[in-house]
Amino acid sequence: MSTLTLPLDDNTTNDPKHRAPLIAGDQSLETLTDVVSGIVEQPVVPRSWYVAFAVSSALAAMFFALIGYLIFTGVGVWGNNSPVFWAWDIVNFVFWVGIGHAGTLISAILLLFRQKWRTSINRFAEAMTIFAVICAGVYPGVHIGRVWFAYWLAPYPNHMTLWPNFRSPLLWDVFAVSTYFTVSLVFWYLGMIPDLATLRDRTQSPLRRALYGLFSVGWRGSARQWHRVERGSLILASLATGLVLSVHSVVSFDFAVSQVPGWHTTIFPPYFVAGAIFSGFAMVVTLMVPARAYFGLKDLITVRHLDNMNKIILATSCMVGYAYGVEVFIAWYSGVHYERFAFLNRAFGPYAPYYWTMVTCNVIVPHLFWFRKWRTTPALMVIVAVLVNVGMWMERFVIIGISLTRGHLPSSWRMYAPTWVDIGMFIGSFGLFMTLFLLFCRFLPMVAMAEVKTVLVHEESHAAQH
Amino acid sequence: MSSLEKQQAGDTYWRSLGELNDSPRFRAFLEAEFPEELDPGGMSRRRWLQLMGASIALAGVAGCRWPRKEILPLVVRPQGRVPGEAEYYATAMDLCGTTLGLLVTSRDGRPVKIEGNPGHPASQGGTHAFAQASILELYDPDRSRGLKQYAGSDGTSKEWAEFQAFAEKHFAGLRAAKGKGLAILAEASSSPTRAALQARFAKSLPEARWYEYEPINDDNVREGSTLAFGAPHRTHYRPESADVIVCVDCDLLSGHPNSVQYARGFAAGRDPKRGPEGGRMNRLYAIESRYTLTGAAADHRLPMRSREIAAWLSGLEEAIRRQLAGEKAGEQTPFLAAIVQDLTGSKGRSLVAVGASQPSEVHAAAHRINQSLGNAGKTVVYYADANPERPGHMAAMRSLVADMNAGNVKMIVVLGGNPVYNAPADVKFSEAYAKVAERVHLSPYSDETSRESTWHIPKAHFLESWDDARASDGTYSIVQPLISPLWGGKTSSEMIAVILGEQSTDGQSLVRRTFGELFGQQDFEANWKKAVHDGLVAGSEGKPAAPAIQAAKSAPGKAAETQAKEGELEIVFCADDSVFDGRFANNGWLQEAPRPISHITWDNAAVMHPATARRLKIDADTFVRVQYSGQSLELPVYLLPGHAKDSVTISLGYGRKAAGNVGGDSAQKIDSVGANAYTLRTSSSPFFGSGLEVSPTGKAYTLATTEEHHAIDNLSEEARKERGSELLRESTLKEYEAHPEFAKHAVHHPPLESLWNEWSYEGHRWGMTVDLNKCIGCNACVVACQAENNVPVVGRQLVLKGREMHWIRIDRYFRGDSEAESPPISHQVVTCQQCENAPCEQVCPVAATVHSHEGLNDMVYNRCIGTRYCANNCPYKVRRFNYFYFHWDLEKPENEVKKMVYNPEVTIRSRGVMEKCTYCVQRVQAAKIVSKNERRPIADGEVMAACQQSCPSRAIVFGDLNNRESQVARAQDDHRSYAMLAELNIKPRTSYLARVRNPHPSLDKAEHEHPNATT
Repeated sequence: MSTLTLPLDDNTTNDPKHRAPLIAGDQSLETLTDVVSGIVEQPVVPRSWYVAFAVSSALAAMFFALIGYLIFTGVGVWGNNSPVFWAWDIVNFVFWVGIGHAGTLISAILLLFRQKWRTSINRFAEAMTIFAVICAGVYPGVHIGRVWFAYWLAPYPNHMTLWPNFRSPLLWDVFAVSTYFTVSLVFWYLGMIPDLATLRDRTQSPLRRALYGLFSVGWRGSARQWHRVERGSLILASLATGLVLSVHSVVSFDFAVSQVPGWHTTIFPPYFVAGAIFSGFAMVVTLMVPARAYFGLKDLITVRHLDNMNKIILATSCMVGYAYGVEVFIAWYSGVHYERFAFLNRAFGPYAPYYWTMVTCNVIVPHLFWFRKWRTTPALMVIVAVLVNVGMWMERFVIIGISLTRGHLPSSWRMYAPTWVDIGMFIGSFGLFMTLFLLFCRFLPMVAMAEVKTVLVHEESHAAQH
Repeated sequence: MSSLEKQQAGDTYWRSLGELNDSPRFRAFLEAEFPEELDPGGMSRRRWLQLMGASIALAGVAGCRWPRKEILPLVVRPQGRVPGEAEYYATAMDLCGTTLGLLVTSRDGRPVKIEGNPGHPASQGGTHAFAQASILELYDPDRSRGLKQYAGSDGTSKEWAEFQAFAEKHFAGLRAAKGKGLAILAEASSSPTRAALQARFAKSLPEARWYEYEPINDDNVREGSTLAFGAPHRTHYRPESADVIVCVDCDLLSGHPNSVQYARGFAAGRDPKRGPEGGRMNRLYAIESRYTLTGAAADHRLPMRSREIAAWLSGLEEAIRRQLAGEKAGEQTPFLAAIVQDLTGSKGRSLVAVGASQPSEVHAAAHRINQSLGNAGKTVVYYADANPERPGHMAAMRSLVADMNAGNVKMIVVLGGNPVYNAPADVKFSEAYAKVAERVHLSPYSDETSRESTWHIPKAHFLESWDDARASDGTYSIVQPLISPLWGGKTSSEMIAVILGEQSTDGQSLVRRTFGELFGQQDFEANWKKAVHDGLVAGSEGKPAAPAIQAAKSAPGKAAETQAKEGELEIVFCADDSVFDGRFANNGWLQEAPRPISHITWDNAAVMHPATARRLKIDADTFVRVQYSGQSLELPVYLLPGHAKDSVTISLGYGRKAAGNVGGDSAQKIDSVGANAYTLRTSSSPFFGSGLEVSPTGKAYTLATTEEHHAIDNLSEEARKERGSELLRESTLKEYEAHPEFAKHAVHHPPLESLWNEWSYEGHRWGMTVDLNKCIGCNACVVACQAENNVPVVGRQLVLKGREMHWIRIDRYFRGDSEAESPPISHQVVTCQQCENAPCEQVCPVAATVHSHEGLNDMVYNRCIGTRYCANNCPYKVRRFNYFYFHWDLEKPENEVKKMVYNPEVTIRSRGVMEKCTYCVQRVQAAKIVSKNERRPIADGEVMAACQQSCPSRAIVFGDLNNRESQVARAQDDHRSYAMLAELNIKPRTSYLARVRNPHPSLDKAEHEHPNATT
């Protein structure tokens, strides 16, 4: 048997004699802190960051300007019609919520499963989750006809003694997404407190010291404080684990509970969760590959990390593909011709290109990850990850949009076309996402230093035993 | 002064003896001090209050700020008036000389809703879409707001007094010259008052000329009767007495001016119910070029080019003759043989009706057939024409133009109508018109003709007018104003009286005079009051004439001439289903009402068969160039299966240049809606002709249809077929008799169980039934609903986007192969089905749509935040979303008057909320209040939904399902009753009665394979 010859920094081989290192290079506790904090502490911010920020924030500004236009003019500025009452608004909402799945999965579920490799990427992925959920949350907020009454969705005591309708999945959605967002945010922040304290201690700027000091809430690194952070993390992780599964299940109820042919499907909850993890991981990979290269984090976020994530993408792709197959089978098996037509129409109707793009990107392309080369070569995996996100957007359109275009009564069938506002808002939401992300990279520790150090220490002690 | 006013004037107070004695000197003094010109009828207290009110209101309009308004209560409440409570007045609407009796709802002095007058023979409670939409016309802000004198294209506003001064000067001179140089161009009218005025006109101005012109006219009908009987007769049909009806290029049920009555009569014979209550099924044949609603209602339809129809009818006449004479039949198509068998088999109970577009010979042939079958006097009634000397409308137009060109006309008064726009292109009306020195035009809008006239006078809307009319069967009907003229309009009769210089020129006294002449002076006031109250004089219908056929005057035939060559294109002009001859072009409700069959809105099109388009290399969704009679016109093409091949139908009434903000106004740079087909029309062949050329232009254009009009893919085509037979269930009479419950077995599903204990509806349980056998798809309900429920108009762009707001729609299904000669069409009225287990209610997060205790699916507008989830989950897709604020136009000061059209009982919905049919809950509530006050249960039929009330064929039934004796409960117990999509377990409250066609046994297999073959 021939031995694999790999570059020195490669930690992707599984040699039973050696546990592959999670942190590459010659990193010590000190260098690790320097590398991560250095990104935030750079005295001169590179021009490229400003360029990226200018573009992103301009797009984000466009996003808000279009929201203003939407609110002042009416939902009619979109392409929505009758019968396609929900279109890009809800497609984008589900798309962003899906992307917001990877972070909490990594930090919560992998924490409970003691997957140590998560430490390098969890901060980053969680930040992405929060930003994606922010982008997602904007859509249902502004898509309603009378935005100024959005608060009626909340069960607050009022003089009309009116409560929201608890039978509506849309209401469940409000609770699911807001809970998910809150828990994710608290979890993210709790884990960040020790690192914020590190930055507070290192910074030269009085303003930064004050702010980091404020947000590190008096962290001194005492054993009691460590104990509380870790206990808190575990509790939140247990909470968040349920939420990872629930939030997209509830989002899927919006469709599954209805009786639109193509929506009314019991497979939706697991199918949506798998799809969400799938797209979330693809987004993490898409962002992480350039970020680790740009910020010099290759030692901390190693190829092995990327490799692991790609494996998850491959696994979830198989689940999603299976779900597609089951959906079609059940549509046929049900004997309900409305259902059958809904699926035939997806594949062979006027929107067939959307369907086949979806199948190609989500079911066929990820199989490239069976090849080690595709899993471990950053440039190649980014191609797959981007295509997966394209495919997942298509999936949402296929489910939401195409099903609505042709419902029960042929007399009410109608094609859908987006307007420039739809497209502008979708691009703008990426602007908002990237703006938040760039601010995060600039001012917050991208890697959970304290947590990575536990892995580092483990490595050293492990080596010392031999 | 009416007697009432005289009584009140009993105790008079006086200031001087002159006043007390009412001496001429005092009168002259008063005249100088308070000129009466403002109001020729004298100033009543009411009028004074109105004028003062108007002055105060108008005083603010001049400013740029909103006028400050105060609402003050009346000091003394007029007797019988309860503020806010609806009052109903009978009146009538005249369209092209055909009258429809109406009952108008008025609230606080303003008419808001039009219904049919149940006592009127032409209406029997039903209306057409035009009548429903006329209320919008009344409050149209574009209606002419005053007199104008034109010099060139610029008009200056004038007062009525100024016109009177002008009129005095000119008409006195003309009267002196016995009317030489004066010409009147009037619209068709059935008004006895106008006839009387016309007679007085002829007497006092013998040299003046009187012309009558309507672009959509009955010239052929009259000439046909002259040809057959030697003198012109009006033809009135009685489809209710016919078992076999053959419509020859005749849209009896929808396009015919008297369609409301005929649709009712037809529907009376479409009840297949068996058992003790009996029931009767007539059989309808349609032979026509375009696909009309009559064709869709027909049991057998034969598409044929219009010009071939004459030959076909000669063939029928000959075949019937042979059959009656017992001769051997010649070679016959199965279709013809079936008709012959049916017609001769039900002598005296059959009917052959010919459309006004067919030439006179065809009408004569139909008269001969009806006579030979013994139908005359039974299913066809003739009335002698009141004015037999009158020339045809096209002939009148030609001679008027000749007169004008010859310089014989010094002054012309155009009483209504819009000849500059709608005169045939070949007579060149406009050029001749310009040669007349004084051109006075009375019209509701400052339209194309007004702008080429010297004087424009606003014409009073019929809801502002006193007038009278005769229904198709001759019943004397009274047109009563519901409101005084908003913009000081005058009626045609009033204008004629002014021309004649008569003493009393106000409409009421003119009508009263006629009434007295017709019905005598005995008990005048009582009779008059009753007539005004009823809207008609019972028993005043005409005496049927029994004219004999003038043999040999017209031999059957000319078949060879009319036989068209294969492939030769034919053009057919027809009145539009929405804008008629163009007069309703500025009516948003009608423009947005999907045209029957095609479902086009806001446009006209060159309608042709897909095979013809393929031959001419014309693609769907493009513009075509139409060349005919040396003129050319570009307009979009619409491909309609079942249309006669090599025939192109273009509806008239579009391309208006001076209609208003809706229909197009070149002065304000507002594009016209559609293309003007009058530019192609000739006076010699006004309804159809050959020598048409159609070529593709390649310009893409999408018509704003409310239904996808052609299959984009085979998949959807197949799904439509598969679903069609489940959603709209139909069968043939034979099958129905064998399997009366066929409709209940069209869809098989597991038993529909509920997880919960169902709500039991203890009080009322409202429900609706639509009889698909009676529904003809005429749009009356669509517009009635729009009027009743304040449904906004969204415009072409938003219809294109799929955002029309109609609460009720008429779904159209083609059956079978689209390439078949005439694929049958069925209509299905769909509105909110008020599901007991409503999917929309379940998903609304804010509980804005909830169920009432009576089973109505209530929409709480002010709770709705517009998530639109309900609409997604509605399988019938009847919910409509306010994507924009559709009432923005009301904020413009000039549109203030438009606010008056809204029904005060129904909320105007704001942007961002969902809306839908409520089963007219406001009417339900009103009836409940009345019955509660009177301590009695609501009677069956007391609550009528707006759609139901307007329906000319009585296809819609609404009522309380808990009342087992109610019409709706019995209808839902009918064998034919089924609920659409019941398999979803949503328990819709609306049910449909399956359609039962009545094909001739010999044609059954050929045309209908088996409507319910697929499941």
